[in-house]
Amino acid sequence: MTVSSDNKASSQTAMPRLAEWAIETGDLARSFGAVQAVKGVNLKVERGSIYALLGPNGAGKTTTINMLTTLIKPTDGWARVAGWDVVKQSDEVRRHIGVTFQETVLDKNLSGRVALDIHGRLYQMPRAESKARIKELVALVELEEAIDRPTKTYSGGMKRRLELARGLMTRPEILFLDEPTQGLDPQNRERIWLYIQQMRREQGLTILLTTHDMDEAEKLADKVSIIDGGLIVVEGTPATLIGAMGADVVSVQGVAGGPGPAFVAALLMTPFVEWAEAHPDENSVAVGLKQQAGRSLKPIVDLAEQCGYEVADIAISRPNLNDVFLKYTGRRLRD
Amino acid sequence: MATVLERSRLVTASPKGGNWNGLWTGVQTLWLKHMLKFVSSSMEITGTLGLPILWMFFFGLAMHGMVSQMKTMNINIDYLSYITPGVVMLTALSAAILGGSTLLMERVNGVIKEYMVAPIPRLAVLLGTMSSAITKALLQSVIILVLGAILGGGLNWNVLALLAGLLITVVYAMGFVGIAAALASKAKGMEGYHSIIMIFNLPLMFTSNALYPISELPAFIKVLCYLNPTTYAVDATRQLWFGGTSEVGMWIDLPVLLVFMVVCVWFGYRIFQKSVANPAS
Repeated sequence: MTVSSDNKASSQTAMPRLAEWAIETGDLARSFGAVQAVKGVNLKVERGSIYALLGPNGAGKTTTINMLTTLIKPTDGWARVAGWDVVKQSDEVRRHIGVTFQETVLDKNLSGRVALDIHGRLYQMPRAESKARIKELVALVELEEAIDRPTKTYSGGMKRRLELARGLMTRPEILFLDEPTQGLDPQNRERIWLYIQQMRREQGLTILLTTHDMDEAEKLADKVSIIDGGLIVVEGTPATLIGAMGADVVSVQGVAGGPGPAFVAALLMTPFVEWAEAHPDENSVAVGLKQQAGRSLKPIVDLAEQCGYEVADIAISRPNLNDVFLKYTGRRLRD
Repeated sequence: MATVLERSRLVTASPKGGNWNGLWTGVQTLWLKHMLKFVSSSMEITGTLGLPILWMFFFGLAMHGMVSQMKTMNINIDYLSYITPGVVMLTALSAAILGGSTLLMERVNGVIKEYMVAPIPRLAVLLGTMSSAITKALLQSVIILVLGAILGGGLNWNVLALLAGLLITVVYAMGFVGIAAALASKAKGMEGYHSIIMIFNLPLMFTSNALYPISELPAFIKVLCYLNPTTYAVDATRQLWFGGTSEVGMWIDLPVLLVFMVVCVWFGYRIFQKSVANPAS
């Protein structure tokens, strides 16, 4: 297979220039032997935005990030990051990005300050600038107390914060965050979210993050792509994706062996019902509504009684990205 | 446009010239990092400095006493001086093996990814690791030479000869760092690496002229001797440092060692390059 860039002009000039998109890919694909990890991803990430790749483990998120950050080469398709081709101009790409990896990548015997300093040196940052930047970033991620201690004394959350600071050390145009809050407790997770939201205020910074946590995508991202089986199945802002799911969802819990299908059939005939699905494993029926749930509860319960479906419990929920994921992949996105 | 230009201030050279620039930056930075790790680990310092001292004291002095009574071997210098080059090479070899461990550790725990996404060539990662391993090897070599001078007293104090000998040690160690890097790039984990690398350690010492003249050895070990780069490194440094009689000759030693180094470093780089191009396989 060949790696091709259909835009010849971009590969001929080595001058930095403003690309239309922070990240743009065309049928980007990567195989490992017979396994196609990424099957053809088309992305357009706007400058200055936070973009989330949402998908379960093994969906191809990390492989996509690895290609965009020049860690591995695509087996097909092309990608431009900050306007540079990831294969032909990988050095330029590297100069303009920051990355935090899924696993913690720190030397446990070295202090946080040394980790940041070494990072600056790798990018040939002038010494004075590096010092000032470290001070600024340590304040941002609130590690002033710990920065001169070996990183082996850090908690998981502190390590992540240090890595975020390292990713921003060289003032990248684009920051890649691979599962930025994986393995963190809820409190630390929300702190990291806060930092990420603060970081985006850096002039022109674009953030691409991967996550299998829908809350994270919903909370942080301007745009979300749901990725599954190496393909993007749907893309949009969290609000439009969720909005397209309809209004509220009512989950009706029945008793074992209840006549679910008959109830669903009856529901689908009702004007305010957008969709209805039986989940026989859970003895429940999910109902997507066109109107507010409050007004629909009594008719739903009445209908259940008419169908002989014994109602044990009722829950109302607003649709979220999990429902979006379920709709497009037919599977639940589990944490 | 303004932000893009402002950011590119960090870029100090054009992409073509930047390769050399990046290579030098990478090697320097990795060397610095590994040395910082080295000085922050008291255990590693103790091991690095302790090993040569133990060799010289226990092995050197014990063998010295025994051999000087036999007086049968055909050597022109005292036995402690005689084996000092061999001990230097053995410790240089250990340092090379440790260099491989550093690379393997960084590969296994993912630290290497930080270098891979930085604007430095892949080669810088290998050469940076080599440079820190070689620095440790040189540190050890100097300790051994000093001890050898104190305990045996046969050291040739010609500075040029001393430096030339250390340079040969570097060439010898570079070759083995190349092999170690190749194995470290192939190994799945620490255990596999160390069980393979053990093959190199003592056997290389025993199948060389490090402890006894080649002429004293049985025929089949003689063959192994001439296949072993240790023989050439010992032969050359023994001559330079202690004025020992050469059994091979400098004009064979040097080219053999240089070829050994170039081939092994190239081999190490190739395997390393492959391992980082396909990290998942």
